[in-house]
Formats: sequence, structure tokens, C-alpha cells
Amino acid sequence: MAESEEEVDVLVQRVVKDINNAFKKNPNIDEIGLIPCPEARYNRSPIVLVENKLGMESWCVKFLLPFVHNKLLLYRQRKQWLDREALIDITCTLLLLNPDFTTAWNVRKELAQCGVLNPERDLYLGKLVLTKFPKSPETWIHRRWVLQQVLRQCRPRAAEQKEPGEVELGGAQGSPPNERLRRVLRDEMKVCAEAAGRYPSNYNAWSHRIWVLQNLAKGNLKILYDELSSMKLWVSTHVSDHSGFHYRQFLMKALVAELSRAADASCGPSQDLHRSHWPNGDGVGPAAAEESRTASVPELFGKELELCTDLIETYPGHETLWCHRRHVFFLWYHWRKEQSQDVGRQPSLLNHTDETLSGSLGASAGRNVQAMDVDLALEESKQTSYTQDSKRLKRGPLQLRPGLPSEHSFVTKILSGCRSPEQGRFAAAYRKWLDSVIVAADTRSGSVKIKANMNKRISKRKTKVETLLP
Amino acid sequence: MKLYSLSVLYKGINKSNLLKAAYDLSSFSFFQRSSVQEFMTFTSALIVERSSTGTRSSIKEQEYLCHVYVRNDSLGGVVIADGEYPSRVCFTLLDKVLDEFSRQVDSIDWPSGSPATISYTALDSYLAKYQNPREADAMTKVQAELDETKIILHNTMESLLERGEKLDDLVQKSEHLGTQSKAFYKTARKQNSCCEVM
Repeated sequence: MAESEEEVDVLVQRVVKDINNAFKKNPNIDEIGLIPCPEARYNRSPIVLVENKLGMESWCVKFLLPFVHNKLLLYRQRKQWLDREALIDITCTLLLLNPDFTTAWNVRKELAQCGVLNPERDLYLGKLVLTKFPKSPETWIHRRWVLQQVLRQCRPRAAEQKEPGEVELGGAQGSPPNERLRRVLRDEMKVCAEAAGRYPSNYNAWSHRIWVLQNLAKGNLKILYDELSSMKLWVSTHVSDHSGFHYRQFLMKALVAELSRAADASCGPSQDLHRSHWPNGDGVGPAAAEESRTASVPELFGKELELCTDLIETYPGHETLWCHRRHVFFLWYHWRKEQSQDVGRQPSLLNHTDETLSGSLGASAGRNVQAMDVDLALEESKQTSYTQDSKRLKRGPLQLRPGLPSEHSFVTKILSGCRSPEQGRFAAAYRKWLDSVIVAADTRSGSVKIKANMNKRISKRKTKVETLLP
Repeated sequence: MKLYSLSVLYKGINKSNLLKAAYDLSSFSFFQRSSVQEFMTFTSALIVERSSTGTRSSIKEQEYLCHVYVRNDSLGGVVIADGEYPSRVCFTLLDKVLDEFSRQVDSIDWPSGSPATISYTALDSYLAKYQNPREADAMTKVQAELDETKIILHNTMESLLERGEKLDDLVQKSEHLGTQSKAFYKTARKQNSCCEVM
């Protein structure tokens, strides 16, 4: 079925026009796809529009792609002129077929810079492309360029006065820049979530998500908290998605940094800082929010470890969950050490917080954390059979204060009840990591007390000190 | 963590026939859904054909896990899930569905039945409900009862086939697959799906 060059040209013009018309006809197209169709049907367009889905029959791609690709290259080499409309249509067609063709995105950058193309159109095009190519690196890279343009438009004054990215969303300017950025941020989160769902452990999508928070919502506690809570369900249903959990680790780090910063500052200025992020009437009163958030670093860690525990127990044998636990526990441990190293009021402030937390839970919780020590661990490991009921009862009260003893009891509990060989391996490796990395770090800094407790428990086991960094 | 299909089949002497099926194809690209559905039917039928009565198996194929239970009375069920969905819950689901099906649909109708003639409507709601594995309320109970050592594990579909049999041939001959799906299969086998452009 050899096509003459003329025929191909006619076909290609028609296809490009059909695609353009499809977008005009339906501005709500939300997905593109390839229709497996080895042969053309007489005189029918290969472009198919069904509901909000735009499809292209596969037979035409081998004609279309090289032709359009070549056309753009000729333009670039200044051998053939293309007007703006033609450029927009051609680059659009090209990118729907091959989004990693950087030149096409670059042509669009130039058009945007001339003011001929609204950069937000590229956000829409990118979103469509990602439905078929959820990892496409060039699409994500171009997206970040566009977002920088949008940011520049929303922040007409240069960033001399404030830290870059700090108070965009709650600008003193008033609503318009706020609203636009808020909408853009919401849309980005949605695009990232969809792309993450279309490909497992989609590193590019999650890294982009992190970039967006770092650049469009820096230091925004409310958004960090919202993301953490909205991601809870997602990670619970994607328990082997490393990148999803890595995003949670980023959120934890960012939250801890912000909360520590806010706690360090004296009460007055930090309240203002929080109030300036979100104008009043945004739901939560500033003072109340302040209180509940800044008190919460231990609670934050406690909840995260609780989530991790729940998932590890419900879905045995997923290494991702154990890696996540290491990251979270390491972060916690590191934060605790930093806190205790600060001289002056910090230690007493911490103690006060601990008491309040234990008190609010009821007497049992706080005291049990310390009591869940050597004896309980040994007792559990002696049991040979575990019914489901006794296992459920032993999950016990919430622990809000993570610590080495409770981590060890957790490992012992898992090992004694688990039937999955992978789960057993991961649990044993985690214990080894606790002993060697965490304890080694302590020993280096001169704290021997914890190591002494460990030795009581592991008296019969010989542990080699290896670094088992995740 | 997803369930893609839930099917009830009858294992006949030479081949199996589909009695009823439910599918959740929402995570697939829109234009691929009809082919995907056909492939799931094809796979489910093949698995039941090649499994002995009275066995439970899990077959891994690419990123999917197919769980099958063929009862001693030749009634079989297949769940196609992803790699994260706990297999134990799949077997709970299969037990439950086959039990209910056998009580609602007379066994005399099984050997010649088809989705059009069989009246059993609960599959869709089971599939939807079990998308969240914690819905398996009797999960803890089954964890104690199910003897996992008896579940046969297969690492590929190929291991179910007879010696010399090729999956490609079975695809070409299958009546469950339309021409478009067969063409799709051919091109998909040739490409590296990661770098696919066309």
C-alpha cells in the first residue's frame, strides 16, 4: 500500500486539521489514546472522538509522525516557513504522538514568549499527553517551565522583598493572583495524582509534585498538612509504590522543618507568619491552628508510624512499607537528637509536651510506651501460637511516642505472627538496621545508655555492625 | 491495589465456558478497554481449562496476578488482580461467590450456560465492594482456615500449557478474541511497551 508523497501530504494535512477541529468541538477532552487498527477504512478519518476521549487509529501513525516531525525540523533549519497557527497545530499533533521531542516543546516556548500562545494551553496539552505517556520526562520539564512563567505573571514585583515562593498564595495583593495560583496548584496536584496512578512508582510525577510544593507553596503549613492527609488513602491503596511513600517522607521533613521553625520563633511573630499564609475565612482560625500544629511533631511521627504499622500488618511482604518505616523512624530519631542537643528551654518544653500528650490519651498510653520494654518483648517471643483475636488485642493502645523499645517490640510481634517469608526477612532486616545504624549513631555521639538496654535484649545474638542504610 | 475482573466459569471436559463475569477497566486507557476485557475473558477461560478440579492456584503474568479456584463440582472462579492485592482476600472472595452462585443457579444449567442465559447479578457489586480489600469482613477468619501451602503458584501463563503449546497460537485460535484484539496482541508482543511511540 505505497502512498505517494502527495497522498501522504494530503492525509497529514487532513489529520492535523481533524485534531484541531476535535479540540474546537470539544474543549473538555481529557484523554488521548491509540486505537489498535492495522488498516485504514476507506476515506474515514483516523481521528476518533468518543465522549471526552480523543483517539487515533494506529495505521496512520507511521505516515503522520515522520512527516510532521520533518516539517518542524525544516522550519527550525529555516528552510520552510510556518505561520503561528500552523506551528501551534503541528507541535500539538507531534507532541500527542511523541512528547519527548524536545524541539516541539521549545518551539512552543518561543511562541509563549512572543505572547502568541497562552502558557496555560501547554498545561492542558501536557495533561492530555500524560494520559498516554505518564512518565514523559520532557513533558514534566516543560511543565515546570510553564509554571515558572505563570508564577512570574502572578508575582509582578521581583522577589527582593520576600523569600522566593514564600507568601504567593496569601499575597498582600488581594484575590486575583491568589485565586489563579491556588487553582494552578490544585490542578498540578490532580495531574500528578493521575499520572502516578497510570504508572507504578512514577518517579517523574512525584518529583514534579515535590517541585510544585517547593516553588508554589513554600512554607505553607496548611497545604503540607492537607497533602499528608489526602495522600493517606492513596498510599494505603498503593502499598508498593516507593515514590508515593517518598513523597510522604518529603512532606514529613518539610512539616518538621516548618514546625520547628515556628516553635523556635517566639509566640508573637510566628502567629503573624501563619496568619499571613491564609486570609481569614479560610476555615481554621489562626490561633487555634497555630496551637494544634506547633505542639505536634511527636504526634506527627506517632501517626505516621501508626499508619505504617497498620499497613505492614494488613499487607504483609511489601518492602516499600519497611523502607518507609526506616525513613520515618530515622527522621524522628534525628529530630529528637537535635531537640535534646539544644540547650536551654528546649528539653523542658519537650517534657511538658510529652506529659500533655500522655495525659490526654489516658494514663495507660503514656506509661505503656516506656513499659513496653524488655519483658513484654521476651514474653511475646515465647508464645508459639497466635490466634487472630489475641493478636488484635495486643495491638493495644495508641503509641504517640515512638522510640527504640517500641520499634523492637513491633518487630518481635511481626516475627512471631507472620506467615509470609518475605515479611519475616524484612522484619529481621529492619531489626538489624535498628541495631547497627541507629545504635551506631548513638555510640558515635557518646550516648551509651540505649546501647546498654539493647544488649540486655540481644544478649544471645551476635550482631555484626554493618551499615544497613536504606 | 486493584481487582480487574471476576468471572465464574464451568470446567467442561474439553473446554470451559464462561457463565458470568464482571470487569473494572477504569484504570485502562479508554480505547484499549474492549481488547483488555476480551483478553481477561480469554485468560480466565484458559486458566480454568488448565487447572485441575479441587485446586486453587495463583498465576503471575506480567504485572497481573490471576487467582483461580476450581471446585470439585467443576464450577470455577477467576479473579484477575494486580500484584499488590492480597491473594488471601481473592480466595475468600472466590469461595463466597462460587458458593452463592451454586445456590442460586441450578447446576444443570452450568455446562451449556453463557452470560446471556445465566441469571446471577451479584458479580458487579462484589467486584466493586472488594476493590477495598478490607471489605473482606471475614478476612481474619479465612487467614486461619485457608491452607496456603496448597495453593499452586505459577510464574507465567506458559507454565499452564502443554509441552509444545504456544500462547501465541492459542491467541490466534481463540473465539474470545476479536480481530482487533488479536492484532493488538501481535504488535504489543513486538514492542517494548516502555519506549512505545506507535
